Amino acid sequence: MSLEARLQAASSEYARLQAELSAAVESRQRLDAQLSENELVKKEFAVLTPNNTVYKLIGPVLVRQDPADARATVDKRLEFIRSEIKRVEAQLTDYDARTEKKKDEVCLFCFPPLSRRAHPPLHRQLVQIQAQIQAQGQHTAAATAATA
Amino acid sequence: MAGQSQQINISDLDVPQLADVRKQLEEELTHLTNSFSQLKQAQAKFRSCIDSVKEVAPQNQGKTILVPLTNSLYVPGKLSDLENVIVDIGTGYYVKKTRAEAVKHYEGKIDYIRTNLETLQETIQKKQDNMSVVASILQSKLQAQASDKANKD
Repeated sequence: MSLEARLQAASSEYARLQAELSAAVESRQRLDAQLSENELVKKEFAVLTPNNTVYKLIGPVLVRQDPADARATVDKRLEFIRSEIKRVEAQLTDYDARTEKKKDEVCLFCFPPLSRRAHPPLHRQLVQIQAQIQAQGQHTAAATAATA
Repeated sequence: MAGQSQQINISDLDVPQLADVRKQLEEELTHLTNSFSQLKQAQAKFRSCIDSVKEVAPQNQGKTILVPLTNSLYVPGKLSDLENVIVDIGTGYYVKKTRAEAVKHYEGKIDYIRTNLETLQETIQKKQDNMSVVASILQSKLQAQASDKANKD
């Protein structure tokens, strides 16, 4: 394989990893929102008096529910969401490591063997691709920063 | 964030890098201000809920109200239970509460959002400060470049 093709393959692989990473970031965000909503509901259940009737929305109707049942359901949900968060966290660190590795791989192509004098057109192309990759990387960095 | 893990002096960056940093800050700022206005909207919604609960009062007993079945179809109705309302507490659960309890619930929500708004406000302020620092450095770099060029010509 030519150097150029290898770089192309590596950089498209890198872009794919970036997309997966941002998908994982998104699901992490969604889980966070669910977690805080369920925690608010749990807090609300904690201050109920026997006079407060609990209903659950099932389709278009409100169905009366036993408060103890409702509490148990929310607790179970919280447990599930927490374990999901742990899973996605692990995924995130994994993707992070893999993108980092790919990035190094792509960079390796660009620098040592090529001098500007030896391959002027190839060098120019590489610089361009590199700039593209950098722009993509920054985009994801912005997304991650927004979550933090 | 990146700035802390590997310390880079911002004045060492060149013009395109500074422009990138500024763009990133801009994106973060729009995201944060969007969240801010969404929270404000939610707060306003809870306020109007309190107003609605206050309308369910004994002096309105027996008066006819219009109950929306869809956005454009209403049927006349009367309030039969003036003491209790059913409040959506999230994730599909609803709780029957007395009027006083409902108002207290909504006030708690408003307060919760207020604390969130305050922290968000602080974050936005910090980002704006960062942004103006980056913008002024970028400005001075551009000026230096322009005068360099003028000197060479």
